[in-house]
Amino acid sequence: MTATAMRDAWYPVGLLSDLQAEGKETLLLGEPITVFGFETSGPKVECNGRSLPVFARFGHLWTSLGSPNKDLFTIPEADHPDRTLVDVGVVRVKCSPLRAVENFLDVAHFPFVHTDILGAESHPEVSEYKVEIRDDVDEVWATKVEFFQPQAAKSAGGGITTEYMYRVPAPTCSVLYKTCPPRPREWDVIALFVQPLTEDLCDVWPWMALFDDESSTTELIHFQQLIFLQDRSILENQIPKRLPLDPAMETPTRADLTSIAYRRWLKRHNYTFGAQLVAG
Amino acid sequence: MVAETDARWVPVAVSADIPDGTVVPARLPTGPIAVWRSDSGRIYANGDRCPHRGMRLSHGFVRGESLSCIYHGWRFGSDGACQKIPAHPAVVPPKTINCGALPAIEALGIVWAAVQTPTEAPPDFESYEAVRSLVIAATPDAVARACDAELNADTIKTQCDGHDVVLLVTATVPEEVFVIVLVDKKLNLSDRIAFSTGLEALRRTAEAKGYAA
Repeated sequence: MTATAMRDAWYPVGLLSDLQAEGKETLLLGEPITVFGFETSGPKVECNGRSLPVFARFGHLWTSLGSPNKDLFTIPEADHPDRTLVDVGVVRVKCSPLRAVENFLDVAHFPFVHTDILGAESHPEVSEYKVEIRDDVDEVWATKVEFFQPQAAKSAGGGITTEYMYRVPAPTCSVLYKTCPPRPREWDVIALFVQPLTEDLCDVWPWMALFDDESSTTELIHFQQLIFLQDRSILENQIPKRLPLDPAMETPTRADLTSIAYRRWLKRHNYTFGAQLVAG
Repeated sequence: MVAETDARWVPVAVSADIPDGTVVPARLPTGPIAVWRSDSGRIYANGDRCPHRGMRLSHGFVRGESLSCIYHGWRFGSDGACQKIPAHPAVVPPKTINCGALPAIEALGIVWAAVQTPTEAPPDFESYEAVRSLVIAATPDAVARACDAELNADTIKTQCDGHDVVLLVTATVPEEVFVIVLVDKKLNLSDRIAFSTGLEALRRTAEAKGYAA
């Protein structure tokens, strides 16, 4: 009953550049699926003999167990031809898929988890920012998020105050727009696509669309993997494993307004795979 | 209501395993706890969960007389109260934010913790002190049988490698026990090291297939 809403959403299940004709077995929302890549007929995903809808976008193959009532979201900013598109790969994390997204929406942990890279302990303050659930597009948005960063990106020479925008267009996906050091008028785009395997296990597929003429793809991937491995040490050690949607379970502050809106939005839509509804 | 088992000292760690300025995970029968020693050498215990976003505090860091969460740096004092939220330097944290300080003391080279402060002191084994701890995937009875001895009030007194020893056995999760081993205080260092290494044989025996059943 409660899982129906999430069954109708789109999820990443592999890199388009790495699909196998012999098929790869994986899980989606606890159900076994097989992901195939065929040279002539294109990709295919099966669940217990049933063919699932497929969609190719952002370097990944997407599928759904249900009947998606809308196309996968777009990221128009990422279409600029000068951008370097980076398929980072996959990081398996023993945590709720929703906790993985929530961590991505959080800047207050930068000084302590990504010390001297995305944050510095001498600059931990999170100033006020704006959060809204945009009803017209049914997305969570946080804007005017500012934070001091010693090395905001691979392309950043030194410490800068970075501006962020966060967007949640699907229950297990988030897109981050951040100050682009070499092009102050543009935004770097970093997305987190999460494949929910079970309620407490997920495959995280980060993807980036950057302006960076200096760094090699390998360097960009290494930078992003370093960040995600630091996050993993947190995500695998939160109690309870599932994201609590009962406000009494945890203690948010003003810095957590994005997380509060995300949790409210999940609850409103019954996006509860990976959530804990009552304190316990 | 306080359960009878709550007001009882439980051996949770060997003192020497927690140097000044460090924190370790441990367990009470009620659940996971964080045990830490301040820079001045005092021992403290509290729940192993930051009230902010549920991160284990045993992954945190100790500075001065406070324990901080590794996730967002929330700082907690020896009374469990939150002292500082780094994201909001000007905010005085409300008194309600607390990580649940627990009574903790040291005796016989062991850190003892409890859910409620016990009226009695921990058991005294006068001439003994802790040499090491080990986790064994077996029941308390299986450990006793591996020692060829009786289990009496979570305690096994036996001989091991020719030495008189005391084992304190705590069952915290199913099919797993936390054991602290005490030896004669007068035992010299090289004998302690040899004895400590030899305890692996006890673990293997207790965990041996068919033995634990």
